[in-house]
Amino acid sequence: MKKRILIVDDSFYMRTMLKNMLTDAGYEVVGEAPNGQTALQMAKETNPDLVTLDVILPDNTGLDVLKGIKKDQPDMKVIIVSAVGQEVIVTEAMDHGALAYIVKPFSEDKVLEVVGNALKENA
Amino acid sequence: MKSREQEYKEIFIAEALEYYDALNRHISELEKDPNNDGLLAEIFRLLHNMKANAKAIGYIQISDLSHKLETAFELIRNKELAFTDETVTVLFDGIDLLGELINNVDNEGYQVADENIIRNLELVVENANEQENGGDKQKELSRSAKYINAKNITLSDLVYIQIKKLDHLLNLVGELIIDRDRILSISKELNHSDLAAVSAHLYRITEDLQYSVMDARLVTIGSLFNKFPRIVRDIAVAEKKDIHLEVSGQDIQIDRNILQIITDSLLHIMRNAISHGIEPADVREKVGKPKVGNITLSAQSDREMVQIKLRDDGKGIDLADVRRGIVQKGFLPADVVKDLRDSEALSYIFEPGFSLAKEITEFSGRGVGLDVVKNAIDSIGGRIRVDSEKGKGTTFTLHLPTSIAVKGALLFEVAENFYAIPLMHTDSVVAFETSELHEIGGLLVAEIKNETITVIYLNEFLNGDPGTMDLGSKSRLKGLVQNIIIVTYNNRKLGLIVDKLFRQQDIVVKPLNKPVDAIEIYGGVTLLGSGKVCLVLDVPAITRYFLTKK
Repeated sequence: MKKRILIVDDSFYMRTMLKNMLTDAGYEVVGEAPNGQTALQMAKETNPDLVTLDVILPDNTGLDVLKGIKKDQPDMKVIIVSAVGQEVIVTEAMDHGALAYIVKPFSEDKVLEVVGNALKENA
Repeated sequence: MKSREQEYKEIFIAEALEYYDALNRHISELEKDPNNDGLLAEIFRLLHNMKANAKAIGYIQISDLSHKLETAFELIRNKELAFTDETVTVLFDGIDLLGELINNVDNEGYQVADENIIRNLELVVENANEQENGGDKQKELSRSAKYINAKNITLSDLVYIQIKKLDHLLNLVGELIIDRDRILSISKELNHSDLAAVSAHLYRITEDLQYSVMDARLVTIGSLFNKFPRIVRDIAVAEKKDIHLEVSGQDIQIDRNILQIITDSLLHIMRNAISHGIEPADVREKVGKPKVGNITLSAQSDREMVQIKLRDDGKGIDLADVRRGIVQKGFLPADVVKDLRDSEALSYIFEPGFSLAKEITEFSGRGVGLDVVKNAIDSIGGRIRVDSEKGKGTTFTLHLPTSIAVKGALLFEVAENFYAIPLMHTDSVVAFETSELHEIGGLLVAEIKNETITVIYLNEFLNGDPGTMDLGSKSRLKGLVQNIIIVTYNNRKLGLIVDKLFRQQDIVVKPLNKPVDAIEIYGGVTLLGSGKVCLVLDVPAITRYFLTKK
């Protein structure tokens, strides 16, 4: 069955690109959250297989969202989407249970590779 | 035609302009409240998004400038750069230039008017670093040709709109058209020249409005078709089949809600084609077909209709199986089935409970039959047909309206009441001598173009007393010649005898209200220009009614 993905990013442009890439590749995008609060709520409601998480969000840092998800739904897979220059946050996110990270700007191949690998692992 | 690149670009610009406005707002606030960390964090977030988005879409100047601004704000956040008047000016200039760049992404000849703005940004950073390192080689900032912002306020020229709002708009247009037709009709009756001129103008405007609203709801079929290559690949892998998919007609436009409604149907047919249509490679080789199965998904538009075809070169549907199935599942007795035309027999695959699938796989045969597909297509006033040749392959053809609001319909009269039949379901109109109709098995039939077609006298059917209703007797017919509208539904034809044919017209169909909405044979109601109520016949329901009778 189709794997279900939640996209968390504050930029509509980024969400649209990611959504198109993922749905074209046969994934089901169950939600798009533009901020941390919505992200946590959607993660609970939609219970996706995977979350792509931007680390800089308007109301909350992405790190808090990651911690929130991992606290309530520890099995949910989270991939960090970050930009160059945020290596410190990415490292911290990996320590808090993120599976992998993608650096913006990303290529479609890269996104699908990282997402595909993350969903393959039986973590 | 809007390509995905175009769509990305429009989204980028709309969002970038939003960021630009917010940046201006926040920097103005920061000027008054330089120690507000929340504001700084927000500025960072906006610049960060601007940079990442611009880089992704390939607007290097915008991403570079965002990066330089980010660097400067980094120093301010770390208290290495004071938020002085001079710095503020440089930052504002930088933000203004950002706005200029965003507004000129389409302008190929655009040159940054004043390179000093960028240079100054770099200098502010260099000077701060120099100071931090204990140096005193402060470089003088250049004067920049300042953009005067108050002069040109630009708003984004792209808005996003919920489909719900467009639905509402379209409903209102529908109501308006009904009133317009009424006014036109009154104006003809009154024969008043001013009124005639105004109503002619009203007619043109509402027509333009109707098409504009319909146009706003159009999306390209590609938005659905482009998802198929990957889906087909996945199903093919799971089914261990080699499939080549050819897609065409992605640029054809169709109403967004219609596309939404047929999405699952098309997916279902595609799964069937791969799971049950295309044979395994070894079987294909044995029968002399290329190893790789071929599926084509195409769209064509034909006036107000869009035709979607899904063709596979698989094993085809075995008509003998279908005929056996019709008998086994109790749809029709064996003696009737053997007389069915091939196309008629084939249409039974759309009946609930009729499935030829022998094995259930992950992707198909999960209890959802083609009847569900058919219902979805019916619900939007579309048609579906299947053609198949054993050993050669199967083709499903979907005829869909491009828009849901207005339907072309044939108006006619029965017992002085007006009725309409959507053109989607009309095949032809013929005049027949009463003597050429035959009484067979409690119904009337006619031999029309080498087909035996059941003919229903609508006056008797719609207005007859149920106790004495007789649809099989010619004695109830009036006149020597009968006007018959031949309707088609699911490859089956039915003739409807009407009193008088009226005209062809675009109508806005409104659903029936309770309690009359339970009457199945009416699909809805419309108001004619004369103010008269006109019932719209539901051809699928009437055809089904007589099929169960058979």
